[in-house]
Amino acid sequence: MYGSTFGHQMVQSELEEIVGANYVRADEVSRLVYSTDWSWMPQMWLDRGQPTPQPDFIVHPGSAEEIAEILRIANKYHIPVVPWGGGSGTQGGAAPVYGGIIVDTKRLNRILNIDEKSLTVTAQAGVIGTQLEWALNERGLTLPHYPASANCATVGGYLAPRGTGTISTKYGKAEDMVLSMQVVLPNGEIVRTPVVPQHAAGPDWFRLFLGAEGTFGIITEATLQVDYMPESRLLRAVLFSSLTDALEAGRLMMTRRLQPFVIRLYDPASTASVVHEILGYDFEGAYMVIGFDGDPDIAALQEQKAMEICVGLGARDLGRERGEKWWAHRYDFYYPPQTLKLPWMYGTTETVTTYDKIEALYWAQKRAIEETYRAQKIRYIGHFSHWFHWGAMLYSRFIIEQPPADAQEALALHNRVWNTAMTAVIDNGGMINEHHGIGLKLARFMRRQYGESWPFLLRIKETLDPNGIMNPGKTGF
Amino acid sequence: MSSSHPPIDPAQATDPIRATDNCRYCLMCRHVCPVGEVTKLESLSPHGWALTIASQRRGLIEWNTDSVGALYHCADCGLCRANCVTDQPLPNAIVAARNQVVESGLAPRPLYTLADALAHWGNPYAEQMPVQPTGAGEVALFVGDEAMYRWPAALEAATRLLEIIGIKPVLVGRGRNNGYLASSLGFAAVAHDLIAATIAEVAAVGARRLLVLAPADLYAFGDLAGERLQLKLPEGVVLEAVTDVLDNALQAGQLALRHAEQLAAWAYVDPTHSARIGRSGDAPRRLGAALGGEPLELFWRRERAHPSGATALRFSLPHMAYLLAQARLQDAQRQGAQIVVTEAPGDLAILSEVAPRLGMRVQGLYELLASQLV
Ligand SMILES: Cc1cc2nc3c(=O)[nH]c(=O)nc-3n(C[C@H](O)[C@H](O)[C@H](O)COP(=O)(O)OP(=O)(O)OC[C@H]3O[C@@H](n4cnc5c(N)ncnc54)[C@H](O)[C@@H]3O)c2cc1C
Ligand code: SF4
Ligand code: SF4
Repeated sequence: MYGSTFGHQMVQSELEEIVGANYVRADEVSRLVYSTDWSWMPQMWLDRGQPTPQPDFIVHPGSAEEIAEILRIANKYHIPVVPWGGGSGTQGGAAPVYGGIIVDTKRLNRILNIDEKSLTVTAQAGVIGTQLEWALNERGLTLPHYPASANCATVGGYLAPRGTGTISTKYGKAEDMVLSMQVVLPNGEIVRTPVVPQHAAGPDWFRLFLGAEGTFGIITEATLQVDYMPESRLLRAVLFSSLTDALEAGRLMMTRRLQPFVIRLYDPASTASVVHEILGYDFEGAYMVIGFDGDPDIAALQEQKAMEICVGLGARDLGRERGEKWWAHRYDFYYPPQTLKLPWMYGTTETVTTYDKIEALYWAQKRAIEETYRAQKIRYIGHFSHWFHWGAMLYSRFIIEQPPADAQEALALHNRVWNTAMTAVIDNGGMINEHHGIGLKLARFMRRQYGESWPFLLRIKETLDPNGIMNPGKTGF
Repeated sequence: MSSSHPPIDPAQATDPIRATDNCRYCLMCRHVCPVGEVTKLESLSPHGWALTIASQRRGLIEWNTDSVGALYHCADCGLCRANCVTDQPLPNAIVAARNQVVESGLAPRPLYTLADALAHWGNPYAEQMPVQPTGAGEVALFVGDEAMYRWPAALEAATRLLEIIGIKPVLVGRGRNNGYLASSLGFAAVAHDLIAATIAEVAAVGARRLLVLAPADLYAFGDLAGERLQLKLPEGVVLEAVTDVLDNALQAGQLALRHAEQLAAWAYVDPTHSARIGRSGDAPRRLGAALGGEPLELFWRRERAHPSGATALRFSLPHMAYLLAQARLQDAQRQGAQIVVTEAPGDLAILSEVAPRLGMRVQGLYELLASQLV
């Protein structure tokens, strides 16, 4: 709880003056519910009946100007401010570890403009993904960022941790869709980035806010590139007996620019577990779904070329239905009880690197985790879901079904597994994260990840946020 | 082979509150929750209620004025479950928690008074006992309390329309609540008695078909009765919406309607509970279109149709109920509508209370249809 009762009341009334009393909450239930985002640590803690750090206030501003005022107050009293979109982040980025003010952006929920000529949408940061998508679909358009969390994540939350969606392989990461943004800086200044991202009028400073996870300010508005709903979507499944061949097939599809919108390659352990449970298939090997969309003739030709690559590398064609079924059920994996669930311990240790390193990284991480935590009967599964011209993303996971009952012991073990996983990543030339962000969970690895560049990043943070009010403890700051 | 997810808790089948352990950290239906939509608060959203209940069970919070107040904010509209891939019975879990709160004497005082009225009079609107059915017949029509006391025009018009197509139903449940209100507020025993009384009437008149005026009744005598109260209609009795019966007659050419001049720029509001019963909403739209062309569509429609506030919130948190009604009307206004049309008496009543403030008009579908008979 911030300061004395007197201090608390004083701050509360100042906040109420800005946004109105209805939009400042400090009640017990709200403070409890906002004490955890989707990260395992606080969820586990609460599951075991242990209280977690709570925010002092939850504020719902209605404009960038109101946010600016809130940040001025936070600077005056040195109160932490934690931006909160949908709270679906998995890294503890929105967890109020030092209390303070949660700025929930969901009142910033207006879709300001849909430009059907330039194919852009301008939306406030608190618009929920699926709601934005429904509005676009009514005009035959789509925002091609399809994260499994679209039902709960916000536009600001898409961008702040640099999210990636199911069809990123063709359409890019969320950050690639941004034309421009409005951001409230930590000192309350409101800035607008240039109207388009591709220009030569100075450095690309707008990218500073992508991946900063609220430590450099609060995104309040974004103009994003949208697409027409594709005329066709062709999906197909193939089965490889060797993961190496499957990875090579993916690499060839990408480097030959066949433009698949999805290549989802499950490792043999995932094929035997999640694919079996959600889709009901019993395959041994590496199950891969590939998809092509857009003009039906072009998509069919691209698919044909892709199938030549796959079959040439020994894949068995499983047909269309097995690809379409995956597409239809692609988000079922995220609904309880199908998703991972407490009291289990789990973590998504995802990473990205270039093609020359990705397979070695996979095996190194798998070996390190499985060997180090054999006694805990750890399981390691992975799939490769986001592909680039130069490399691929590995979505790996560890699962321990019977973690220690004691919350502190469980947390300590969890952190040890993460140390092992991230050491394997860094030692094998990977990035410690590709799309979930850093948050609290990976903050301690940032210094190692960035090495001698880290002080440079720290100086940017100190310049933008001299009082360190913005989301302290996150992204390593 | 090892499973990639934990087994489903078998206790969930007997203890619905346990569903909150699944929902407390799941955010996958927050986008459809009407209360979350108007409040923007995580604590007043599906996972917020689930986490609150789960935390109370873990001793992290107690039921007190604040936490009970939060618990009673859920509209019990079923949108969450309707949009849940694994069909988690979260609304039942929230109601089960309310049952406990009620039993511990911790629910807001006015609700106990309301429950007494429901138990005694069968409705919260008038100190009048339900009217017993007269006669017998194959087809019964459930009247309920809203069509009796809040929007009688719907009943008059619906019976007239039915008569035109050759159906003369026996009226049952005249002036008796369908049981939803008591169930939703946590008074399971009262809800049980209300539904059981209507079921007994249906059996007594020998009906094989039970027609209802609103999706709320379909829900009450279907899923609610079965899942929350282990009650079911007499063997062989089929539950049907009057709109479906009329639509079938329209398609078969048994119902001839004139164009309604007054029906311009109108939007159809799917009544409260439509989404949770999986209703497509085609029948009322086709009926409306026969009078005044295609309706304008709300953003929150069909499988994502938000309630208009005709829920227990009208009694527990009227302000929230009115906010929901206002949100429906504003949704219609944004689509360019000046008139909203729906058939459910409860929805018509609350929408028409709010509409004048927004310069809008509310029309009952049955009344419109009855006024345009050829
Ligand atoms: C079931 C499930 C599936 C998921 N699938 C995917 C997926 O497919 N792809 C993917 O990329 N991610 C996925 N995620 C992770 C998560 O949903 C994304 O990171 C999402 O984009 C976060 O959005 P949010 O609005 O919930 O952000 P929050 O969790 O509220 O915040 C995330 C971080 O961004 C900051 N932040 C939020 N809003 C702003 C703002 N306006 N300005 C500045 N900072 C802000 C917060 O402080 C925090 O650090 C998944 C999560 C879940 C629970
Ligand atoms: S009802 Fe389904 S979607 Fe909603 S919170 Fe529960 S598990 Fe998630
Ligand atoms: S029943 Fe309705 S109000 Fe309650 S949690 Fe579900 S969607 Fe929200």
